[in-house]
Amino acid sequence: MAKIKFKLNGELKEIDTDPSRRLLDVLRDDFNLTGPKEGCGEGECGACAVLMNQEIVNSCSVPLANVLDKEIVTIEGFSKTKRYEVIKDAFAKAGGVQCGFCTPGMIIATESLLNKNLNPTDFEIKIGLSGNLCRCTGYNLIIEAVKIASKTGEGLW
Amino acid sequence: MVNSYLPLTLEECLEILAKHDVKIVAGGTDMLIQNRSHTSMSIGFKSDVIYISNINELKRIYEDDMFVYIGSCCSLEMIMENELVPSLLRDTILEMASPAIRHTATLAGNIGNASPAGDSLVPLYLLDALVEIRSASSVRRVALIDFIKGVRKIDLSKNELITEVIIPKLKFSDCYFKKVGPRLSDAISKLSFAGAYRLESNIIEDIRFAFGAVNVSVVRRRELEERLIGKTVTKVKEMIDEILVWYDEFIIPIDDQRSNKEYRKNISLKLLRSFIENIE
Amino acid sequence: MKDISIPINKVDNEDKCSGKAMYVADYKIEGMLYAFTVRSSIAKGEILKIEYPVLPEGYFIVDHRDVPGKNIVKVIYDDMPVFTSGKITYLYEPISLIVGPKKEVLNDLLKQVKISYQEEEPAFDWTDSVVHYHFDKGDGLNAFRGLDRIEYNYETSYQEQAYIETQGFIGYPEEDKVTLVGSIQCPYYVKNAVIQALGAAEDKVRIIQATVGGAFGGKEEFPSLIGCQLAVAISKIKKPIQLIYEREEDMLVTTKRHPSRVNFVGYIKNNRIYGLKAVVGIDGGANIGLSGVVLSRALIACTGAYSIEHLDISGDVFRTNTVPNGAFRGFGAPQMFFAVEMFFEHVAKRLKLDSLKFKLNHLARQNDFTSTMGIFRDPVLMPEMVEKVIKESDYIKKRKDYEDSSFKGIGMSLFFHGCGFTGSGEQNHIKAKVKLKKDQDKVYILIAAVDMGQGVKTSFRKLVAHILDIDIERVIFDNPDTDFVPDSGPTVASRTMMIVGGIVARAAKEVKERFNEETFTVFKQYEQPEYIKYDEASFKGDAYPAYSWGVNVVEVEVDKDTYQVNIKKTWSVYDIGKAIDERIVMGQADGGLAQGLAYGYLEVMNHKRGKIMQKNMTDYIIPTAMDMCPMETYLFENPYAYGPYGAKGVGELSLIGGAPAVAMAIEQAIKKKVFKIPVTPEYIMELINNGEN
Repeated sequence: MAKIKFKLNGELKEIDTDPSRRLLDVLRDDFNLTGPKEGCGEGECGACAVLMNQEIVNSCSVPLANVLDKEIVTIEGFSKTKRYEVIKDAFAKAGGVQCGFCTPGMIIATESLLNKNLNPTDFEIKIGLSGNLCRCTGYNLIIEAVKIASKTGEGLW
Repeated sequence: MVNSYLPLTLEECLEILAKHDVKIVAGGTDMLIQNRSHTSMSIGFKSDVIYISNINELKRIYEDDMFVYIGSCCSLEMIMENELVPSLLRDTILEMASPAIRHTATLAGNIGNASPAGDSLVPLYLLDALVEIRSASSVRRVALIDFIKGVRKIDLSKNELITEVIIPKLKFSDCYFKKVGPRLSDAISKLSFAGAYRLESNIIEDIRFAFGAVNVSVVRRRELEERLIGKTVTKVKEMIDEILVWYDEFIIPIDDQRSNKEYRKNISLKLLRSFIENIE
Repeated sequence: MKDISIPINKVDNEDKCSGKAMYVADYKIEGMLYAFTVRSSIAKGEILKIEYPVLPEGYFIVDHRDVPGKNIVKVIYDDMPVFTSGKITYLYEPISLIVGPKKEVLNDLLKQVKISYQEEEPAFDWTDSVVHYHFDKGDGLNAFRGLDRIEYNYETSYQEQAYIETQGFIGYPEEDKVTLVGSIQCPYYVKNAVIQALGAAEDKVRIIQATVGGAFGGKEEFPSLIGCQLAVAISKIKKPIQLIYEREEDMLVTTKRHPSRVNFVGYIKNNRIYGLKAVVGIDGGANIGLSGVVLSRALIACTGAYSIEHLDISGDVFRTNTVPNGAFRGFGAPQMFFAVEMFFEHVAKRLKLDSLKFKLNHLARQNDFTSTMGIFRDPVLMPEMVEKVIKESDYIKKRKDYEDSSFKGIGMSLFFHGCGFTGSGEQNHIKAKVKLKKDQDKVYILIAAVDMGQGVKTSFRKLVAHILDIDIERVIFDNPDTDFVPDSGPTVASRTMMIVGGIVARAAKEVKERFNEETFTVFKQYEQPEYIKYDEASFKGDAYPAYSWGVNVVEVEVDKDTYQVNIKKTWSVYDIGKAIDERIVMGQADGGLAQGLAYGYLEVMNHKRGKIMQKNMTDYIIPTAMDMCPMETYLFENPYAYGPYGAKGVGELSLIGGAPAVAMAIEQAIKKKVFKIPVTPEYIMELINNGEN
């Protein structure tokens, strides 16, 4: 057991738990944040993606020990931002949401990408989304959504 | 339940290693998957664990005249974005896994994992990379090629930690990395190949080839490369068939769920041929 | 009034984007237990003895002896036990559940279970035929005498649905009633299966659909198995229990697309295929389940999008000691269309004819007989659709150019999908019922159709709002709950909009007439069009009420060193009658094609002595954003009289043409004939070294 202090969706948290727990389980089981999903459990699908210090990580592959003093933002926290509104509207407009299981992860990936690069090329978008598997859309409509967000989100990033 | 240690400094870390028999976890992207049991269950480590990713001293990248030094807790993304790092390695990292993994996985982790399919090992072998190993009482540097002993086997004592990956500064006329994966990103390689050379007035001053996922560890044969040094490009190109025969005995891949040995072998040799044909 | 096809925002965008949507793993119930599955470690044999460890207080074993009703999962063909009573027919067959409050403990207990077997030699060859069908058309074999024959064989392998959300249920007891919440396509399949397994009265079983994280057929019949297991556990233990598969478990034991082998012999007269003999085999795995129905859909599609006068068609489902295969988007059609499209291509090549002209010469037209002597009653727009795809893709020029270049290729597939259940399935088996309830200013859609991402929630609300000419906010459509919705049938077979939507549209029209009444419910049932007369035994008559049609063009480049395939672009034209929402249809078009393309060149799954070798998402390769290419899609309107606003089936059509089109493009790029999918770099290497030109 260890005391792990970190920021979660803007609030300071400290929990006394086994540091070998996966961040994903801590988020879902201890904080009831079920937006991050378990798809593959091995860092392949990105459904569990969250932001750690503003960058996308797979919460199924992050031990809680590595979250010490970090800033974690899940889709629940991110959905309270203006950037989220822009990305969400873009996903709606492009038709980028089908079953929705990959969607929170896709939105986190979009944020992580646009945060570094507001005007990504098609190729950069594909790289940015390459760790998020979607079985429904064939990706084009999601790529389109990222393009729309990058266009309409000027000034926010 | 196993014990976990979360040192914040290198000194603290080495002291723990001196006293306890622990498994070292950096980014965790491989270790968590290898030891995972079920959703909502702690990772099923069978021994005590030390998490080193909170040690900030190990997150530096710097250089001197001879080498570039990469701290063992630098994420792949940090390395990829740092201009001190040789482009061959940066290009390789871009083809590894995905952004989310690159933000947490480390180069030292890839080395410590010693998987035959570890992509970063291919350019590191080619670049004659070294690793710095520390314990509470010693520091040593060892060539990567000697450090990796086989599939998931490394030359690291219980009380030691990889602290840096050290890359000699080399000049090449051209270098090349090709990952052959089952898809275009986010996948484990079927095979990979790296090549580099330096020409002066059409004479080969230096030439190197490295092959991944076709033997227990990366295939790099300095003694074969040396046979080509000092020769003209035309001469080396004439020797292609012969060179392929030299490498034949070292490229001994296996069949698995990702590919088969015929493909791995054929394509490795084709990439070598194509690389030599394109020297100019 | 606005054209219904004009897109609106999907009604579930907000919940799905923000992470609020509740998938089955997101439900937690106070005092909930977990269930782990005990599985066989052999592929065939008899259990001699099972030794369970001593269970701590609060832990339970649930096995076949606990099944109060019939120990058979009700599917179309009833041969799958809920829990085996001793006979093992495939590796990892479920034997029992271990249930309890702590996963750590369950995990330890699971490892301590000792099972001894009387092992038998498992069958992996395709020799044990458990379903055999045969039909002919025209003069059958007699027509073939004395004609030149051209013969080729085709093979397809497994495809895994690879929904990103694994299978699962959570369930709870309420007195003597069992409620299951699950990731499912067919609430009433699960309900009826559970009723049979529990021997319970109809009102003692309730099934609720959670938000579904992808299904693609994989959650058609398989959930009935684990739903029954969980229901048995709940009725024994009387506590809420969660049963959710880990990814590896899901990959190893759930149903997959049937591997197939097709032998075609074409009999040639005047440069046409005058007669066709087909011998088809599919691997059913350890249970028959839906395999017979999959086979019949495949056989009916044996002529592809073409008319052939004389047919002799036979097929078998083979039982092997492997994981049972089942429903997957396309349901037998993707296998057959791959074979038939390649066959037309190869016959044209053998006859030294242009393959596109050869295909167009055989194209089915309106009022032609189908393979089963039904009739293509509606206009067939394929010639115009082909013309459109040629124009947009520059197919003719590229096709010619790439003949002389190496490692570039372009391919075109022509295909259809029979919409809805085969034959009289709707009338005889499903008998779909729907209800619309008007209450104050709201209208409630009460049907069992599941939104698994294909947009049913949006398109049905839109349909009803459009007919009633009211705001979509006033139309309510919740996830189906069998306590409240009638059985409108399963969400399968591209039937939801055409069949269920058709009934809902009829009901909505009645609601409209009575709109001034405050509260009332309209009930409607499926009425089969008069002309549908189909004999399942002889394969004679109209197998489907309507057909959706499609053309795909795929352009590829093959890496000359590594033989990796890079898809450059695709162009598609579809006739789906009428789009209820164009953006949703475009999503189905892209997503289906991505799965079809990947089936053709990327997705490798095989077994070794009954064990699936690709047991996780690292080893089973589905496309990433990097692998997919721009896709252009065009829709042709061709309204179908019995579909709402003319809508026909959409969901499966877009998957069917991808594999043959990409295979043909690769064939052109490497100048070698392709006979099996997926066309992997390994296979390309084999072809380049030893293939047929």
